[in-house]
Amino acid sequence: MEKNRRITDTVNQVVSRHGKTADAVIPILQDLQHEFNYLPEAALQQVCEITDITPARISGISTFYTQFRHQPAGKHRIRVCTGTACHVKGALFVYEAFRRELKLEDGEDTDASLIFTLEKIACLGCCTLAPVVKVDEITYGHVVPEKVGEILHDFLTKNRNDIARASSFQELQSKTQGEIRIGLGSCCVASGSSEVKAELEKTLALAKIRVDVQQVGCVGICNQVPIMEIIKPGERPVYYAKIKPEEVREVLLAHFKPEGFVNRFRTGLYSVFETLLTEGTPKSFRKYFGEQRDTPLSKFLGPQENIATENRGVTNPLDMHGYMQSGGFTSLQKCLQQMTPQQVVDEISRSGLRGRGGAGFPTGRKWQLVKDQHAEEKFVICNGDEGDPGAFMDRMLLESYPFRIIEGMLIAGYAAGASHGIFYIRAEYPLAVTRIGEAIRLCREKGIIGPSILGSGFTFDVRIFGGAGAFVCGEETALIASVEGKRGLPRMRPPYPVVKGLRDQPTLINNTETLSLVPWIIHHGAAAFSKIGTPGSKGTKVFALAGKVKRGGLIEVPMGITIRQIVEEIGGGIAGDRIFKAVQIGGPSGGCLPASMADMSVDFEALKQAGTMMGSGGLIVLDDTDCMVDIAHYFLSFTQNQSCGKCTFCRIGTRRMLEILEKIRKGEAAHADLTKLEHLAWSTARGSLCGLGKTAPNPVLTTIHYFREEYEAHLDGRCPAGKCIPLIEYRVTDDCIGCTKCAQRCPSDAIAFRPYEKHAIDTDKCIKCDICRQICPVDAILIH
Amino acid sequence: MINITIDHIPVEVQEGISVMEAAAILGIAIPSMCFHPGFSNHPSCMVCLVKDLDRDHLVPSCALPVSEGMNIITGSEEVKEARQEALELLLSDHAGDCEAPCRLSCPAFMDIPLMNRLIGKGNFNEALQIVRQEIALPLVLGYICPAPCEKACKRKPMDQAVSICLLKRSAAQHAGDDNFHQADRSKTSGKKIAIIGTGPAGLSAAFYLLRSGHSCTLFDQHEKAGGALRYDIPEDRMPKEMLDAEIGLIQNMGAELHLGVMVTKDFFQHSILPNYHAVILAAGNLGSNLSAIFGIQPDEHGSFVHRRDFTTSIPGVFACGSIIREQKMAVHSVAQGKMAAKQVGIYLGGSVEQRDSLFKHKSVSITGHLFEPEWNEYMKESIPGRRAEPAEGILAGFTREEAVHEAQRCLHCDCRKPLTCKLRLYADEYDANRKRFAGEERKYITRSIQHEAVVYETEKCIRCGLCVEITQRHGESIGLTFAGRGFDVRITVPFSKTTREALTITARECVEACPTGALAFKDLEERKWR
Repeated sequence: MEKNRRITDTVNQVVSRHGKTADAVIPILQDLQHEFNYLPEAALQQVCEITDITPARISGISTFYTQFRHQPAGKHRIRVCTGTACHVKGALFVYEAFRRELKLEDGEDTDASLIFTLEKIACLGCCTLAPVVKVDEITYGHVVPEKVGEILHDFLTKNRNDIARASSFQELQSKTQGEIRIGLGSCCVASGSSEVKAELEKTLALAKIRVDVQQVGCVGICNQVPIMEIIKPGERPVYYAKIKPEEVREVLLAHFKPEGFVNRFRTGLYSVFETLLTEGTPKSFRKYFGEQRDTPLSKFLGPQENIATENRGVTNPLDMHGYMQSGGFTSLQKCLQQMTPQQVVDEISRSGLRGRGGAGFPTGRKWQLVKDQHAEEKFVICNGDEGDPGAFMDRMLLESYPFRIIEGMLIAGYAAGASHGIFYIRAEYPLAVTRIGEAIRLCREKGIIGPSILGSGFTFDVRIFGGAGAFVCGEETALIASVEGKRGLPRMRPPYPVVKGLRDQPTLINNTETLSLVPWIIHHGAAAFSKIGTPGSKGTKVFALAGKVKRGGLIEVPMGITIRQIVEEIGGGIAGDRIFKAVQIGGPSGGCLPASMADMSVDFEALKQAGTMMGSGGLIVLDDTDCMVDIAHYFLSFTQNQSCGKCTFCRIGTRRMLEILEKIRKGEAAHADLTKLEHLAWSTARGSLCGLGKTAPNPVLTTIHYFREEYEAHLDGRCPAGKCIPLIEYRVTDDCIGCTKCAQRCPSDAIAFRPYEKHAIDTDKCIKCDICRQICPVDAILIH
Repeated sequence: MINITIDHIPVEVQEGISVMEAAAILGIAIPSMCFHPGFSNHPSCMVCLVKDLDRDHLVPSCALPVSEGMNIITGSEEVKEARQEALELLLSDHAGDCEAPCRLSCPAFMDIPLMNRLIGKGNFNEALQIVRQEIALPLVLGYICPAPCEKACKRKPMDQAVSICLLKRSAAQHAGDDNFHQADRSKTSGKKIAIIGTGPAGLSAAFYLLRSGHSCTLFDQHEKAGGALRYDIPEDRMPKEMLDAEIGLIQNMGAELHLGVMVTKDFFQHSILPNYHAVILAAGNLGSNLSAIFGIQPDEHGSFVHRRDFTTSIPGVFACGSIIREQKMAVHSVAQGKMAAKQVGIYLGGSVEQRDSLFKHKSVSITGHLFEPEWNEYMKESIPGRRAEPAEGILAGFTREEAVHEAQRCLHCDCRKPLTCKLRLYADEYDANRKRFAGEERKYITRSIQHEAVVYETEKCIRCGLCVEITQRHGESIGLTFAGRGFDVRITVPFSKTTREALTITARECVEACPTGALAFKDLEERKWR
């Protein structure tokens, strides 16, 4: 009874928030899930009773998007990142280790006592710290299977109070002394463990220092994490790289004053504080200023060109004043006051800008198409449904440069004659949603969004739509369906959204990165932009560089840069003295290019010709321990899982391809299977309705094309890279010193405990979890 | 108006129509499963792919609007191959049998499940009609057939196979004398056919030729008709009166029996060949007499009879039964007699009958044995218990009551839309191979039977969503919905409600729109009404 009452009340509240129309279904479900931790059927039925939403619609929607669950979840969520970078660094071993630790049976995702729910997540965007695991809001990096028990213990015993207190502290603060940006929620927090964050918050709380602690997604310099940036008004920003928890206090007090004398005393930090004020920061810190040369930072940043990421690490994402001081909104002003919409379109066309979402359609032409439509209402949608495993640039841009993207959208809206803008941001990016939401609010306050913007007569309103977890919604027609409160199914084009989009009105859909480049182009002129890049591909491209490079991170490079420059100059080459084997560009729609092609220029045409595509910009570097069959299998399982299931070739074709790949990985396939796989890949590319299905075979086709001998080895029962579990065996070499560590840790008792003797692995019992190999202090365990 | 070109033919069409509709104007039929006129036409099956030459893309023609200057190809090898592959992928994901395994394993392709259902309802007359569509001698075979059908019965691993052979006999036994002796005949064709031999093949050929309106004369060297059926089968296995009864029927239908006649070379050349429009040799294993007496010459492969059409080196002379090869099962000879009769009919100018017995084995969906979790699903429309044994002994056979009960044990493995399933139709037309993309494991078959008239088998569904749209348009309060995504997407009833609650006013429309046997009427029996 009590429960029913709660359901009725909650449903009523949620519905009153979002309205009773059918297109409110996704926000309603999101709120209900937030309240109940899952979607109780009684609540869904109640929604149908009091709204226009039908049982068919609510069931169809709630089972389409992965965000929604129909079974109660555990109190805490463990999300194992299975993005590309994590995958190549053994994320599946970690996932399996959690399953064992939580004693999950097949088909279960929540432990018996409902404490933890285990999930795989496409990408947490901490690729340089792979493999990464996030337990609620705590991120753990470089996770090894044997440590999962410790992680759960750490999570349950530590941090809880600190987190709780820190968040209440942040809410209280009013005027602040400045901002500390720490990569919480991404690479930084993970690599330094949660202690840096805890220490920071503890110190701030104790010392009553009022500072904005910005949980930024990624400043890009992931290889130097945890990195803390301190930004104070009127001072140049300072980076503290690879900072340790015990250093936090000193750094803080070097920059900020505790409030009032009494507080200073109570902190017990009085003496330290005094020292720092007089002597400055100790030299031992890895402290860099942005303009310093010859640091790991400068090497990483050197070859980059910042347009989308202009002022990286300088401005507070939500400091509107700061944004305007550095030239923000002057482009908008210029458009509104000095240019006609056609002139704006022409300027973008002249710049040579092409869509950064993957296919590279000329942006100016798209704008023109929408502009030329006569309609009562037109829409601009910012596509922030970044779903590629191993790509997180949209999130970084949304989190870090919300005003820039809003400005880009406003310019697009002005040029196209639209009056409504929608940010479509995936649900896995809560911080991006918050930031954009706050930025919209601030803009509205300042008259930059709303009626007659800057007194120009141009009226434009903006709202946010939270995606609910479906990679296919990155496809523009599926995205529109999703905004309309339907299952995210792509539909046949033509008609294209520029003619018939949201609510059948002309709709301009641009990728986040595309919009973020617009203000720069207007400000500096089309010519300046088109000077960068190649004849066919102008400007810059943001990539998430990860995998087996020494320095990974988020990079913005000019088009036409070579793969080698990215890998060797920016990335610092391959880590751990391994051999550079290939790069995977473009994620699940892209392909693998061998190291022999590393001097190829990175631009739309060259990539397409090589059988891959720009995609949204994941760039994963692979070394000789990576198996190309495994990589193909990895990407295809992703797309297969993300297929909307509408058309035959994608729904069934990708599944059959995956089954053949499984067979190859097990060493059970024959030559005929490889031929069939290739054939099916071509058929699926040819016969699928939308881009997802048409490009899903690319990872398979490119790996077969460039690495056929590796496939053939699998047909003979060998995995040359030692990755395909059914084809490998763990063995102990003579280097074994009999330390018993492996025997102690083996979860399946496959190694007998024999101190000071050479150990042996019982292959019948071995579950190939890789723990022994990782833990062996003398590398005496090898894969055969 | 808009000018487009389809298969190099220019045509002016109305703006706003689809390429599929434009092709129809030119008389070009494009196959489609998920298309339904007036519906949202969200292409999913991809069977209607055509080539857009200008964009160099394959596009679903049902949803492709015509546009000025468009250049479409519908009949190229590439297009055919793509359609075939779409069908093969759909077949690979289709769990269900086009035809029941018993019927597929019956040499005569008897429609066993339909016979069982008719007997199960006590309708022995119609059951006999169904049997005689494929088998001329049900009474005789009901005693002596080794029943390969029963070995294939899906019920066999659960407890015991349905007693098909005995049921077939009881169809003949309990149909009643009038019905037993009633055999439809088409109007007289005026053609005369001589049949040499009155064994199972000859009698069977005579039965079907007579039914088609031809007249038949049968010759046999023995004093009594029946051949091996009379002389090789002991009385305690089959009473001779059974054979007499079925020969009597054939005589009633107008067959002339010339018994005790030894057909010599001379007699054949002078008395038979000139006087009949066609001849069927069905005189058992003739060995060298085939050429010595009848003058048949072997072809380049050394065979005297062509297996496909039963023709020989002499035009108008056909051969079947043990002449071709020693037949161990009478049912094989009976089947061949029937098929030879059809070929004679075609030879004599009859139309080629559209027959489902001529389907391509590689194109029909076959699931093989049931998995244990499927037993319950199949038992939903059956009755429990082992097979009935005739209380009066095997020679007496089933009583009516016993037969009705035994027939109800049938699991209804066959498809309920054998004639209207588009997947089957196009798979056949496009020569699709069900095994080409077969998955590693097939899905478990489920049956929702809560609705009084409709059965829903989700594993036969191609996810076109027509039914979802129909229930939505008619404002069903529950209706049907898509659930899940990707390969696992399926059509279900929301909130764990039943199909009875989902389809209160739309059952008929949904069943008729469903392009496969996924949604079907439980008891329509399409074949019976053809």
